[in-house]
Amino acid sequence: MLVQLKVNGRDVAAEITPAMSLASCLRTELGLTGTKLSCEVGECGSCTVLLDGKPVTSCLVPAAQTAGRSVETVEGLASDGSLHPLQEAFIKLNAVQCGFCIPGMIMAAKAALEKNANPTPEEVRFILSGNLCRCTGYQKIVEAVLLAAQEMRDHG
Amino acid sequence: MADKELTVSQAFRSVGQPLSQIDSAGKTTGLTQYLQDLSVPGMLHGSIVRSTIPHGLIRKIDTSQAERLPGVRAIITAKDCPGVLFGPQKPEDWEILCQDRVRYIGDEVAAVAATSPEVAKEAAQLVRIEYEELPAVYDPFEAMKPGAAVLWEQHPDNIAYRFFIERGDVDEALAQADHVFEHDFYTGRFYHAPMEPIGCIVQYQADGSYTMWGPTHVPFRSRMTYSKGLGVSMAKIRIIVPPFGGSFGMKYELNVNCIAAVLAKKCGRPLKFFYSREEDISAGHPRMGLHFHFRLGINRDGRFVGKEARVVGTGGARTFWTPPVLSTACYRIDGLYHFQNVRTEGLLVYTNQSPATCFRGFGNAEALTAFETFIDEVGEKIGIDPVQLRRMNSVKSGDLTLHGWNIVSCGYQECLDRAEEVSGFRDRNQPPKVPPRRVVVRGIGLAGGNHISGNRVIIDEFDGSSAQVRVGFDGQVDVIVGDPDIGQGMNTVFAQIAAEVLGLDPTSVRSLPVDTLISPHGIGTLGSRGTTIVGRAVQLAAEDARAKIVTLAAEMLGMEPGRVEFQGGNASVAKDGNRRVSMREIGTEYSTRHGGAYLVGNGDFTPPTEFPDASKYGNLSAAYVFGVHVAEVEVDTETGAVRVVNYWAVHDSGTVINPSTATGQVHGGVAQGISSALTEEVLVKDGLVTNPNFLDYRIPGFQDIPEMHVEFVETQDPYGPFGAKSIGESSLNPAASAVCNAIYNAVGVRVHQTPVTPERLWKLMETARQGEGKK
Repeated sequence: MLVQLKVNGRDVAAEITPAMSLASCLRTELGLTGTKLSCEVGECGSCTVLLDGKPVTSCLVPAAQTAGRSVETVEGLASDGSLHPLQEAFIKLNAVQCGFCIPGMIMAAKAALEKNANPTPEEVRFILSGNLCRCTGYQKIVEAVLLAAQEMRDHG
Repeated sequence: MADKELTVSQAFRSVGQPLSQIDSAGKTTGLTQYLQDLSVPGMLHGSIVRSTIPHGLIRKIDTSQAERLPGVRAIITAKDCPGVLFGPQKPEDWEILCQDRVRYIGDEVAAVAATSPEVAKEAAQLVRIEYEELPAVYDPFEAMKPGAAVLWEQHPDNIAYRFFIERGDVDEALAQADHVFEHDFYTGRFYHAPMEPIGCIVQYQADGSYTMWGPTHVPFRSRMTYSKGLGVSMAKIRIIVPPFGGSFGMKYELNVNCIAAVLAKKCGRPLKFFYSREEDISAGHPRMGLHFHFRLGINRDGRFVGKEARVVGTGGARTFWTPPVLSTACYRIDGLYHFQNVRTEGLLVYTNQSPATCFRGFGNAEALTAFETFIDEVGEKIGIDPVQLRRMNSVKSGDLTLHGWNIVSCGYQECLDRAEEVSGFRDRNQPPKVPPRRVVVRGIGLAGGNHISGNRVIIDEFDGSSAQVRVGFDGQVDVIVGDPDIGQGMNTVFAQIAAEVLGLDPTSVRSLPVDTLISPHGIGTLGSRGTTIVGRAVQLAAEDARAKIVTLAAEMLGMEPGRVEFQGGNASVAKDGNRRVSMREIGTEYSTRHGGAYLVGNGDFTPPTEFPDASKYGNLSAAYVFGVHVAEVEVDTETGAVRVVNYWAVHDSGTVINPSTATGQVHGGVAQGISSALTEEVLVKDGLVTNPNFLDYRIPGFQDIPEMHVEFVETQDPYGPFGAKSIGESSLNPAASAVCNAIYNAVGVRVHQTPVTPERLWKLMETARQGEGKK
């Protein structure tokens, strides 16, 4: 079956099966492999994308349910060749080690900062608690999200 | 965010700078392609048919139903495989597919190739296997008893590997000691949980060779293992290493590569295997459970006089990297404290569980968990401050240990001093009381640890590393090594080392991915050897390149080579008034003079290590590292739940090449150590893993890990690049024991098993309360 949706601001059509997840649709049908699959049961957050602006674990969302809706993935973050403040901050502070969780982490953080532009470290930890990382021990990720929030407040 | 990231040796330009990882732009934009994202034209997908019983003989395999499923291209069983026993360690007990017998739930019996992962999985479920079940055994002590089920007839006592070491006269020492204390500890089966599960892509070529894509710490060593299993020469196996989605010791040699090779050859098509999370946990290769028993002789003044130990490992049904893990668990700690007389026996035991392998810390983290909790208890019993006990008995710079290890530099004392100071440990370490009910109490705990920086015994033939530093036609400087970056930032450290030697901006230097067809031969990224051993080879290669550049630049500038300088931070390499040649001009000139060849500097480094003799005497490592951690916990005395609320880590890693990535290593190691102490354990019931997903096997999240305060003390060590030692594994090693000691400090009960789950701690507290009530 064919599903039509908007991905990173562009209208796209994808051939899907009824059981296909949004994550699989993005990765295999649309070639957007930035969204990672890690647990495939919605426990780790690696596949987080924004669906109509809200963070979802795309491994649990049936692709068929996204018809006519708007999806934002990590590939849509950088614009005009310049990185998003979250990407800049993650790089600057070495919040990235193996990096496999990072696309989902950054998308979850983007949604979080849209709701709360000036979070405390404790709020960042609470809001991102659905995203798992095995390399960093989270500290530099918290620092990077706070730095990005500062940048976005100052220059947003 | 109070990290004090020490910037060492300001005289360096690149070394000591908190540079961002050179590959993180791709990782934050989603453009980095991991194995999960890779495909090869014409690629099929594989699925493994796994044993559903813990132990039994294969009577019949019926693939007919699976073969009829549309989309299935091939099914293989042991009949399609060469049938030799092989493996990365002795005893060699791997089969590509089980010949006639399965030994754990998940053992590999057959494999399917199909047009999609879904069809392959469905077909795998349609393969019917008839078994004659055999008795199974899961507990290592049961397995060693006469009459227990035997997994391998060559090992009738189920002992896969036996370790023994003895120095001095332990019996006499313990007989003469003022006190002898005993201690038992068990560290549980623990899953690496990399965010990307195990997988590989394998393509069979017309010349009889195989190309394999997949993360591995040890690509060159993997060729040795796979070539034996597949019955081809090493040259016929090419391994290309994509960026790692985490590993922590799990992705070394993996049998799935050989299964994929046989299947790819049969189909004539490239083939991809990619484990589900459930498969990765339940049929993968966790850190083994280890039982420790110690007897420690100590004099009234606090001096250790002898240690006897027995270490028993639950290896699982086959042998991965568990023999050297067991050895390490048995005697690495003898390089931290002077025990004077030691005798240690280690037993690696076959059981009907999935084969365990190495994890960051390589047995030493577990041994330290057991011993550093013991020291705390011993110190309390004889009335000597446990920190003082560590100070008195630990190795120091210049010491030769009883196993012949040269401790050239040792900052353990400084780590102890600094950790006590920054955490306020001395004032806060008040004696515990029996826990009252319905309160949350705090406690603080300290523990130390050591590790190596490279290990002589990874490969029998040699120790060391080789590297090239290459200046291209366009002046691009590339570092080429055979040891892959595993996500920790090693390539960034190499760029900094080369940039330091060549006076370049480190962000302009690349470190190339590893491909065994073209990369220099390397032992691999393990044993905390990356920065120290490979990095030293990179430094030497850069110095070789520099010498060639000096000669050429001097000619181009018409000046004496001795007057050539490297400065300017980017491309200028020589200066004489206003005369300079850029790296681009150098590269172009060199290629022009040499038929297009790139300017290549070669470096190889053989560390001053010794292959141990029959008694296991010999210096294992070029450099030894040390660290001290302090944890502060909150214990809910009603539920037994523990939260780590504050954390301090002080490390001696020699010169810190990149304080930002080194600090990141400590953060990650501590997080894994905390959860190994408190929550994470692969639960196995009758051979079946009962928590094979991230809901039931819970790795720590943002709210489980506190803010950590990390510091480095600086020691001077001659062998690593610019005095660098290691951090990857030492970052984890003291963590679990610091947490356990903090729990004791909070509630007054000693734990003898990790993880300290709420249920286990609640029972211990309840027993202590009842004991108190009877007094």
